[in-house]
Amino acid sequence: MPGILIVEDDNDLRTMLKVSLSRRRFTVLEAENGKEALTHFKPSVTDLVITDLIMPDEDGLKVIMRIRELKPSIKIIAISGGGKAGPGSYLNLAKALGADAIYSKPFSVNDMIFKIEELLDIKQEEIK
Amino acid sequence: MISIINRDYVYEKVNTMFCNAQKGMEHSIVGKSLGDIWGYEVFQKNIKKNIDKCFTGRTVKYEASFNVPQSGKRYFEVVFRPIPVESGKITHLLAETFDITDLKLTERKATSREEELRRFETNLPIGFLRCGPDGKMMHANRAFMMIMDCHDDKIIEKTNLRSLYAEEGLFDLHLEQLMDGKPKSFGRVNLKTFAGGELVCRISSFMIVDEKSNPCFIDFSFEDSSRELMLENRLLQAQKLETIGALAGGIAHDFNNILTTISGYSELLKNDLPESSPLAENVKKILLSVSKARSLTKQILAFSRQIEQEKVNINVYDILKETIGFIRSAAPSGVKIKSNIRSGEYPAFADPTQLFRVFLNLMTNSIQAMGDNKGIINVNLKLAKDKEVQKELNADIVADEYTVVTIRDTGIGMDQSLLSRIFEPFFTTREVGRGSGLGLSVVHGIISEMGGEILVSSKVGEGSVFNVYLPVSRDTIQVAAKSGNNKRKILFIRGNKHESRILSMALESAGYNLTISSDLQHIVRTIEDDKTRPDLIIYMQEEKHARTESIIKHFLDNGIKIPCICITDSDQDFVEEKLVNSGIVSQHLTKPVSLKEIINAINLSLS
Repeated sequence: MPGILIVEDDNDLRTMLKVSLSRRRFTVLEAENGKEALTHFKPSVTDLVITDLIMPDEDGLKVIMRIRELKPSIKIIAISGGGKAGPGSYLNLAKALGADAIYSKPFSVNDMIFKIEELLDIKQEEIK
Repeated sequence: MISIINRDYVYEKVNTMFCNAQKGMEHSIVGKSLGDIWGYEVFQKNIKKNIDKCFTGRTVKYEASFNVPQSGKRYFEVVFRPIPVESGKITHLLAETFDITDLKLTERKATSREEELRRFETNLPIGFLRCGPDGKMMHANRAFMMIMDCHDDKIIEKTNLRSLYAEEGLFDLHLEQLMDGKPKSFGRVNLKTFAGGELVCRISSFMIVDEKSNPCFIDFSFEDSSRELMLENRLLQAQKLETIGALAGGIAHDFNNILTTISGYSELLKNDLPESSPLAENVKKILLSVSKARSLTKQILAFSRQIEQEKVNINVYDILKETIGFIRSAAPSGVKIKSNIRSGEYPAFADPTQLFRVFLNLMTNSIQAMGDNKGIINVNLKLAKDKEVQKELNADIVADEYTVVTIRDTGIGMDQSLLSRIFEPFFTTREVGRGSGLGLSVVHGIISEMGGEILVSSKVGEGSVFNVYLPVSRDTIQVAAKSGNNKRKILFIRGNKHESRILSMALESAGYNLTISSDLQHIVRTIEDDKTRPDLIIYMQEEKHARTESIIKHFLDNGIKIPCICITDSDQDFVEEKLVNSGIVSQHLTKPVSLKEIINAINLSLS
């Protein structure tokens, strides 16, 4: 199954995403922040990255740019819960930088999974 | 100095002191006239009349100043005494002259010092008051009269200071404390002015006693603290807004993480439960609460970002007119909106969308202040000169001229304690859940950012008045967007709602070449024609879903690849994600959208 890297500094949220995605039989990799994500990024086993945008150390925008360089074909989903400038502006920036989809927290994980499957061209039946 | 003068005004005898003073010998003075010695002009003007009086038999005493060789101007006391002879005819007089220059100078110094002190006291910006030991006023300086709004100094002597204290018994407490004869500072004291107004003054005082320690009088100083208080409040307010803004952004961010976790696990639960399960209903309720919380965090984030503005040259009249139109269409039927605004130039440098929000918030509050949904809102618009504004605000102001927007309602009004808190973030009179309490604090933030002011007065049972002062800006300021993105063609798809009209006004002021359309056929024609083909499409959703989908479908079907910014209502759960991730929409914004946000989105889409 395709590999998904989740870059998110909130432990609970990351775990929830991991549980939800594992249920759909994705192989889930985790990183607590941008720096960790970039150091341990494995292009060969990662097909999609879900990254938070506002994180300590390297922020999500940088993660998007670097990972795109390392693996141009990778699919990227940006998620954000806002901050000083509001979620909209960061997410729009992420979109401009090449994120394939953006979600402002809190979002529907079901919707996101639906989108992931579309991006990775996975037929629903394959999972079930 | 002694001399003897005859009827011909000639010196016949002089003493040594006279000679010394004149720096001459006796023979060089005797025989000369007074005119020769003191100058003819001086003689005619000052001396002659006194001598003539003396020759009528009277002793004449007067003071005069003369120029003395080598000593310059000296002051003298002159006494002319007639010298009677037996026949009774006066032929000579005795002149005694005393040099009183030193005495005169000391005296003058004392007088000028006294005058200086008096002037100092009069012009002192601090109110000065002297009272009797019982508080009966004796004397006050100009500053005191001004501070206390007194225009007649006769009233001073008829008033007891006790009667100007707002708090009963406080004056007697102060009197008691003064009894030890030491200077006292009483801090801020609430007072009543002569005109019946309220005032806070910093009062210092001390009692002056005689040798037997009996109180003679009490001296008071009064410093008006109103301005100080106002500045303190304003600083506090600004700090509060800033802190809450930063805090709110941070909290909302963390809170959104938690909400995502809650909704994620709830969705997992929902997926596992058969739809017929009664437990599925509970999960739905959890998800509903999440969506409510989500809309709250969005509001908080909107608050923390709303302070930043992208400004353009606008006419306040246009914005106000649109807002009134919007409110009229939305207000309950019992609420009448009377607008007394005449079209004209009310230029300001502002973000029109933010200004719309300011007026909208104020008028919405007015409507909400009407208990039974019945009442009148009066809206006024005028220009005011700096002096007038300064007087009304009692504060330093930045512009020469202001546009003043007054919104007056006949609602339930507010008492003083409420008034002092209404601009605080999260302060609300509405029940929990009906409004975030952010509206007026955002209004305050936006107006302050523009260099404007907002003043509110209210009476319980009568209603409230909000005065918004916006600096007039007659210079056309070059807008950043104008110089950069010159004349990029934008197709703005919108209905005819006031909010979208404001936004198109803002975009045009920012220098974009705008084509406005709401008709699908026209949209298609505009896009297909090479001459009118836009660089960017902005789609502002007004009626829900249906039109959006037909427009999006058209774009999808025809493979139109023009960057599109979509603006939707914030209460549409998760619809935005579908839109923005559909591949048609390049940028997505939620209402309320500020000019800055939309310009950022345009720049991102076109880059």
